[in-house]
Amino acid sequence: MKVIEINELHKIYNESEVKVHAVNGITLDFDEGEFAAIVGPSGSGKTTLLNMIGGLDSPTSGNVIVAGSEMSALRGSELTDFRLHNIGFVFQAYNLIPVLTARENTEFVMRLQNKPAKECKSRAEEMLNAVGLGNRMESRPSKMSGGQQQRVAVARALASKPQFVLADEPTANLDSKSTETLLEIMEKLNREENITFIFSTHDARVVKKARRVITIEDGKVVSDERK
Amino acid sequence: MVELIKLAWRNIWRNKRRSLITIASIFFAVFFAVVMRSIQLGSYGHMIKQSIENFSGYLQIQNPEYFDEQSLDNSLEYTPELIETLNKLEDVKIAVPRIEGFVLASSGHQSKGVIVTGIDTQKEKHASNPENNLVRYILTPKIVKEITTEFAFDKKTEELLWLNQNTAYTNIERIGLDLDMNAKEFSKYEQPFKDKAYAPGQYLTANDSGALVSSKLANFLNIQVGDTIIMIGSGYHGSSAAGLFPVRGIIKVLSPELDNKLIYITLSRAQQFFDMHGRITSIAINIDNTDQMLSVQNNIQHTIDNEKYTVKNWEQINPVLKQQIESDDKSGQMFVGILYFIVFFGILGTVMMMIAERKREFGVLVAIGMRKRKLSAIVIVEMLFIGIVGTLSGLLAAVPLVIAFNLHPVRFTGETGKTYEEMGFDPIMPTAPIDHYFTWQAVIILIMVLLACYIPLWRIRKMKIMNSLRG
Repeated sequence: MKVIEINELHKIYNESEVKVHAVNGITLDFDEGEFAAIVGPSGSGKTTLLNMIGGLDSPTSGNVIVAGSEMSALRGSELTDFRLHNIGFVFQAYNLIPVLTARENTEFVMRLQNKPAKECKSRAEEMLNAVGLGNRMESRPSKMSGGQQQRVAVARALASKPQFVLADEPTANLDSKSTETLLEIMEKLNREENITFIFSTHDARVVKKARRVITIEDGKVVSDERK
Repeated sequence: MVELIKLAWRNIWRNKRRSLITIASIFFAVFFAVVMRSIQLGSYGHMIKQSIENFSGYLQIQNPEYFDEQSLDNSLEYTPELIETLNKLEDVKIAVPRIEGFVLASSGHQSKGVIVTGIDTQKEKHASNPENNLVRYILTPKIVKEITTEFAFDKKTEELLWLNQNTAYTNIERIGLDLDMNAKEFSKYEQPFKDKAYAPGQYLTANDSGALVSSKLANFLNIQVGDTIIMIGSGYHGSSAAGLFPVRGIIKVLSPELDNKLIYITLSRAQQFFDMHGRITSIAINIDNTDQMLSVQNNIQHTIDNEKYTVKNWEQINPVLKQQIESDDKSGQMFVGILYFIVFFGILGTVMMMIAERKREFGVLVAIGMRKRKLSAIVIVEMLFIGIVGTLSGLLAAVPLVIAFNLHPVRFTGETGKTYEEMGFDPIMPTAPIDHYFTWQAVIILIMVLLACYIPLWRIRKMKIMNSLRG
């Protein structure tokens, strides 16, 4: 079942000066439960595509339909709420909230969804145990390594059981061991909870684990392989 | 909501130094503003007390024509029943009959224009209470010379003694204060001062034909208790008023200006002197709650016969004092305004720094699903926390100081005190009791905080997530 449809998507930066086609007419779709990697060299448009799928950026033309909703048609708080209830984000730079502990960061999205405190707490603990941080629940991000922070970011993205997880270069700052652990966690959650994962990456280790690899160059899809 | 407050609270302390500096700037602004306003309002209160409560009264009932032309011809019929009725009214502390006339007072070669006030000696004890202000000690030049010869004072004390020559005192302790001595230091000189500087004098009896003379006037006329003054003036309907008045006592009037020109005589003697039997010029009224002055005035106006009487408040009777207070109040408010203006930019700086360093974090929060409205609420709560902590600590620090100087006002002595008196002010600096002006400081700071929040709120509203995530 198609859950994401991308139609003739264009994103042009510096429209008034030298035009840069970050995304140049991409048409794609994703099925529920996919574990896909978007790969390509730096500046190929991977992150821009991912951001437009997540509604963080708006296309110059074309459209993105996620779970039946056209992202560019959603405005302000509608779009924010859509992201809150449907999409989990994992950023390259972790982007945890520095004043909250690992558990509070993990609970955060659920608390925004107004879920009961008790449920948030138990789910956060479950997720942190799943990512191997059961012993660091009350640590703040500044007291954790990059790998640990990224695992908290994954736990945060998954705790609210979103339909999709969009991960932008999630392993870029991690060592091999952390990368391996993280990928295993995400693969397991994809399998067990049928969450759709889309990564933007140029990490061969991620590509190896992905069941679908979409290659982008100069804003265009040059290959789309399913394993 | 609890999450929001928790997040805001922790955000404040992520940059402790900056938050503490902002809190400190608010603390000092509130502290200085409160203390300064308290001193100002306390001074106004004292000025009103010395000129109004202790003399004219907060309200006066007059003949409707007396206000425009303060002539004895525009006096009113003295009806004790009306005074009884007024005294039974709620909020009226005391209502007393008065006759106020302007005459020439003379003794020896000296003469001066004075205010003669006829009073009901018993009732007046509950109003201006001249008995309480009877002078008990006077430092005449002769006494100062004797005392400085007898005791080897240091140079400064001796100078102060000569500076205070001819000063009248209602109690012995005030002499010590004027000589910049504490109670212990002054105790060894207290008895000699009591013996040498004692000034006899007594309050007026009901049918007394004598007078109480204000201390500076007595000094000017060079009179003492037992001397006689001559008063000449114009009486009711052009009659001639002239009489001899033995001086029964010298009184220290709190208002230095009035202390130069006030003479009290009994009401019956004043009626006889001005040839206005059965008449008075006004009924002076003091009230319990001065904040309710206008409503009490209104209430009295409805109680009395408006054909025969009118009620005026002290601001109408003494517009000069009112304007003096108002203009001083404006300059004080302007100073506080400048103080807060500077603090406002301190708060604004904190807010700007806060949003600059958290731009990326704001982007993340909105990206993962926090509505911009909620993010704005967090920023407001953070700034309100800083504002409230700074304001409350400033107010709490000011409380002991305000209470202490309200109960024990600073008294200027020596040259400063004399300068104050020469300018017509009582040389003390009391603070006003804790009142609405405390609340106003908190309100002003909260308004400033909310104004300073406008910029971050506007930026959050216009924020593009991608720009913020790029930092």
